[in-house]
Amino acid sequence: MAKIGHIIEVENLTFGYAPKRKILKNLSFTVLPGAFLTIAGPNGAGKTTLLNLLCGLLRPEAGTIKIDSANIKSYSVRKLARKVAIVRQEFIPVFDFTVAEVVSMARTPYLGALGFEGEVDKKLVRESLEITETAEFGSRSLASLSGGERQRVFIARALAQNSTILLLDEPTSFLDLKHQVGIYDLLKQMQLEKGKTIVAVTHDINLTIQYCDEALLLGADSSYQYGEAKDVFSAGQIEKVFGVKTFVGKVGEKKFFLPLGRFAKDSRFIGGKAGQ
Amino acid sequence: MTEFLTAKKLAITVSICLAVLAAVIGLCTSVGTQKISLAKVISGPGEVPGANVDYEIFVIRLQRVILGALVGAALACSGVVLQAILRNPLADPYILGISSGAGLGAMIAVLSGITWSFWGGSPITIFAFGGAVGTVWLVCIIGRFAGKSQVMSLLLAGVVVNAFFSAVIMFLTSIAKSHQIRWTVFWLMGNITEKDLPVLYVSGGLILTGIVLLFSICHRLNVLTFGEEEAKGLGVDTAKTRLVAFSLAAFITAIAVSLSGLIGFVGLVIPHGVRLVFGPDHRQLLPVSAIIGSVFLVGADTVARTIVAPEQLPVGVITAIAGGPFFLILLARYTKKVGLHFATGRKTGIS
Repeated sequence: MAKIGHIIEVENLTFGYAPKRKILKNLSFTVLPGAFLTIAGPNGAGKTTLLNLLCGLLRPEAGTIKIDSANIKSYSVRKLARKVAIVRQEFIPVFDFTVAEVVSMARTPYLGALGFEGEVDKKLVRESLEITETAEFGSRSLASLSGGERQRVFIARALAQNSTILLLDEPTSFLDLKHQVGIYDLLKQMQLEKGKTIVAVTHDINLTIQYCDEALLLGADSSYQYGEAKDVFSAGQIEKVFGVKTFVGKVGEKKFFLPLGRFAKDSRFIGGKAGQ
Repeated sequence: MTEFLTAKKLAITVSICLAVLAAVIGLCTSVGTQKISLAKVISGPGEVPGANVDYEIFVIRLQRVILGALVGAALACSGVVLQAILRNPLADPYILGISSGAGLGAMIAVLSGITWSFWGGSPITIFAFGGAVGTVWLVCIIGRFAGKSQVMSLLLAGVVVNAFFSAVIMFLTSIAKSHQIRWTVFWLMGNITEKDLPVLYVSGGLILTGIVLLFSICHRLNVLTFGEEEAKGLGVDTAKTRLVAFSLAAFITAIAVSLSGLIGFVGLVIPHGVRLVFGPDHRQLLPVSAIIGSVFLVGADTVARTIVAPEQLPVGVITAIAGGPFFLILLARYTKKVGLHFATGRKTGIS
């Protein structure tokens, strides 16, 4: 139930692209300011759809979304962009903007009639470039960067937007191990140092479980599990939602899940251990 | 150190470009079939009409040169805006069918033999303007119910309307009389002619107002080139911005076309060239393209009216001859790049 102080409140949210087929059904959850929420689930479960609902691109069919205690419908596009920034899956723009130009665009919801950045805007853009370690290629074109660098640029842009909420759609897909960890370290840093509320959609449960506080596991049948990450991510839940058996291991307090396919080498893993 | 485009930097760039434009206008006005003495021109008009012929020739020529500058600015700006909202570097002001609509209007004006005029505007001007505006409206209506993706359905609607009206133009051409055909062919190729002063004032005022209004949404156009979702995420009301941008671009194109016929390549090549040198930031791209478009068309028209003197060529022939090879070079560049990304040759500090 909605409580005062929650930055995101979703209540009985229902949405579908076709009238008969609902992707999200009666979904309810709340996020505290400064929390790190992971959204996971199989393909087509509605993860990206949920992000699009949270950033106002899609409108709920039923139910309400509240951002900072106000209904999302009451925000103008411009006002909402000051509250919520989103980093989408990787893409390259049609025209050849430089990194600095792309990050500067984050200030669009704050610009006056003439559309030029003021001192405050410039300061924020520079800071965001520094924090994400993208300042060194500020004058390079976005297309000339590697996937990991480009992802950092879009995170820099989201930071420069100076929003309280940061939404990310699979921020580490296509990245190598070093850059995957780099991105999550950066997000955690944002959460701890800047008090950002982070909502990340991911398939990489093992990575995100080391960083996030809460988790929302969406099922393909519009069921969902929401709670503390350590409770939501269990071998039983994962098998139910993804239809894959996993071996559960532990590194200190943190669990990890090794998915087991038909050709898994060690039959012990397929047998009893999965399911704790 | 991260560089930002500031109002001051932009003002300096625009001032330099304006100085170049003023110089080109001055030069092109003094060039022509009839030699004129600059000293006589500067001495001002004579006591009675005809006392200083050089001055009078200069003034008439200046009107034509300024008309060329206005049309060039309108087409270049319209090209910039359409490339941004369609997210397609190959878009030009005519891509959504304005050209064929205006052409059809002009054909009807010539074939029907109407002679009345309105505020100094000839029947061709008025009918072409009506045809252009009508076509834009038609394309928007078709585009709206054609599908979810606004950009794609607009493009498709434009192609369909363009093809249909072109067919009608061909039909009318085949039944027209020969003296009428010469007129319309010149018009379809793009032809700048001397216009009465009221036409110049009205169209000039409207085109400049349109460009100033477009400039005020340039920072939103930047974001819009990233697509609907990204632009909304950055706080831009995409539907409204696109509608305003498209309406203004279509409006100034319609005025330009009704004044001078279908001058090709300016709206495609100038935005490209300026983007190569100055980068894709629309706050700079739009005003600089407007001025460079003016310079280019004023120059092209001067060639058109002097190269085969005492005859005159349609200016569209010159812009196509100059623009064609440039366009080929661009195409060659693009085919080297794989995928959607159209890189420019701008120095981006890659070491």
